[in-house]
Amino acid sequence: MDSGLSCVAWLGVLLILGLPLLGLVPIFGAGLQASAWQLLWADPQVMPALKLTLFSASLSTILALLLACALVFLFYPAKTWQRLQQQAPIFLAIPHAAFAIGLVFLLAPSGWLVRVVSPVFAWTAPPTGLITTQDPYALSLSLALLLKETWFLLWVLTGLINQQWLMKQSLVAQTLGYTRWQAGWQILFPQLLKPLAWPLLAVFAYGLSVVDMSLILGPSTPPTLAVLAWQWFADPDPSQQLKAQSLALLLIGLLVLGASCAYSLYKLLHTLLARPKGRRKRAYGTFIFKPLVKYLVTLPFWLSLSLLVLWSLADGWFFPQILPANLGLNAWQKAELETLLLTLFIASCSILISLPLALIWLEWGNKHQAYLYLPLIIPALPFTAAQYQIALLLNLDGSLLAVIWSHLAWVLPYMLLVLSGAYQSLDARYLLTAKTLGYKTWQACLYIKWPLLLRPILAACAVGFAVSVAQYLPTLFVGGGRIETISTEAVSLSSGGNRSTLAIQAVLQTLLPLLGFILASGLSRWYARRHPGLN
Amino acid sequence: MLQVQQLSIQQTSQTLIQNLSFKVQPGEILTLMGASGVGKSTLLAWMIGALPAAFTATGQCLLNQQRIDILPTEQRRVGILFQDDLLFPHLSVGANLAFALPATIKELDRQQRIDTALEQAGLVGFAKRDPNSLSGGQRARVSVLRALLAEPQALLLDEPFSRLDAKLRQQFRSFVFAQITQMKIPAVLVTHDLADAPNKDCIIQL
Repeated sequence: MDSGLSCVAWLGVLLILGLPLLGLVPIFGAGLQASAWQLLWADPQVMPALKLTLFSASLSTILALLLACALVFLFYPAKTWQRLQQQAPIFLAIPHAAFAIGLVFLLAPSGWLVRVVSPVFAWTAPPTGLITTQDPYALSLSLALLLKETWFLLWVLTGLINQQWLMKQSLVAQTLGYTRWQAGWQILFPQLLKPLAWPLLAVFAYGLSVVDMSLILGPSTPPTLAVLAWQWFADPDPSQQLKAQSLALLLIGLLVLGASCAYSLYKLLHTLLARPKGRRKRAYGTFIFKPLVKYLVTLPFWLSLSLLVLWSLADGWFFPQILPANLGLNAWQKAELETLLLTLFIASCSILISLPLALIWLEWGNKHQAYLYLPLIIPALPFTAAQYQIALLLNLDGSLLAVIWSHLAWVLPYMLLVLSGAYQSLDARYLLTAKTLGYKTWQACLYIKWPLLLRPILAACAVGFAVSVAQYLPTLFVGGGRIETISTEAVSLSSGGNRSTLAIQAVLQTLLPLLGFILASGLSRWYARRHPGLN
Repeated sequence: MLQVQQLSIQQTSQTLIQNLSFKVQPGEILTLMGASGVGKSTLLAWMIGALPAAFTATGQCLLNQQRIDILPTEQRRVGILFQDDLLFPHLSVGANLAFALPATIKELDRQQRIDTALEQAGLVGFAKRDPNSLSGGQRARVSVLRALLAEPQALLLDEPFSRLDAKLRQQFRSFVFAQITQMKIPAVLVTHDLADAPNKDCIIQL
């Protein structure tokens, strides 16, 4: 039984994560040809797109890191910190695409902010000279990435700083005469960078290869590299295909380059800190700085969410009105629910397959599992292209099965990520006790271990569900454009089209994962109430 | 002189400390004794301005006739030693000490001050070492040096001897007490072991 389950675990992981890696082989084969690179560099779009991509990905990663750390140093563990923690799940659950659409409603020349200031400038139509979203420097894209990734990093940081010794070190530095702010940057920051390395790499990889957000907020002539690669992959012309494959490899190269630059910076920081001069600074201007930082990371989310809801209910909302003329359910009544049902189906299947596999893997698979998180580190574009190659080979491209399979590569690692901490910290003696009572391992798991872990299991399901709902690239790529989910629908509607219909898709895209989280935490609370001994 | 006047500390409805007052002269070490949970560490946390949010305190703390309980931690000039040495693991032993030295001491002097301090503690040539490569007793001594190089006006000791074994404990105790006497600053020692108290006339039972 045990060896059988071990086989199941390995087979599942190989099918989900190993197979796409095999699909990278033809991409490497084609993409590494000299002729492909000549074609690539001859394209006039590549160089400016490369600059844009590097700029937006590194800027957003670095600033998100600084901002997340600043939030910790300024607010932990005061009341503001508790309030930020309460809002965090909502901001984490908003899919990237929905947030980007909300930001368009907020920042675009016809957006809400321009409407608010329009009386000052006497604008009666959206100002034509003003380019705020889809700007040529990808600033709005960087801002969106920055805000979204700050919350991801803050979530990681929350786990780290709950270790008492870190905050005690900060306290020691304060008794030596340094402010919390100084202690944070000089003592905590260099130590936090090590455990943050992998999450930061994931953030950078995401910024390099994000397509949905770039299509909504990024520039179009030229677009970012990932969008360019996606367009070329979708082109039947073999020379474009070749360029796309080289470009996908270039994205991996940029990831390696970024990682080595980051490592050099890390070394440099430690050299700089090695000879403290002992300068104590007074805390200046925190009364302005604190609210500024606090609202910078929360307000854009709340405004975006409100605008999404308002637009989905708006019945006529013309420039420069700040609020819609009428509210109604017109657009909602006309909305097609097919994509919603399909999204629900795909996401449910994804967690129904991933959950048992994750549980079996944690018990009977390999405990050292760093490579399982590869899809979170490799830029999504080459990985999805590899998945497509496999689907093509098996004649499954465009099928529902292949799309679900492609989602698993992200759903499974995220579920494992959520589960593994709780799994390791569970007292091993529970399982041992059950075994000494004569139960087999799988029975002990089924009756004792997994029920004890029900709350982290529910949380993992909610995360897995949210991850599947937000998937854009694999759905589009492996689905061959034939499978339409809320995510693909939202992005395709974002270029022109009716704002109310677009808002509905974005609201649905936000609502689904949010309902998942609410359901999971509700069940979790009910279960905890029935079993008060559970922690 | 370090003075605490009419200090009371509450946790929700429960009173931990009521109407506590004491004075400590420069060079003197006051010992606060009591079983765990009576609020010894909480008292020290209040004195350095790091009282957890669950507690409320009333009362005053004066250092050299100046109220410090209204100042932020970094301006109080009160040093502290915890059970753990809490050396910063990303800095060398020398850098840990340099971090504590005031900025008014410049380049060459800094190096000299660090070397002298290490010599006093019997740690000659340890400046370049990584804290992790030191023994528990050596790390404890470095953490004392670090607290004192910041030139505090008072020192608080939060059971700093409890992690050391009996023989080391005796040595380390006399090292710390000698340093405090030499610096001529008031000190407060929190412990639950009577043997730790340097002066048996100077003990407050909590």
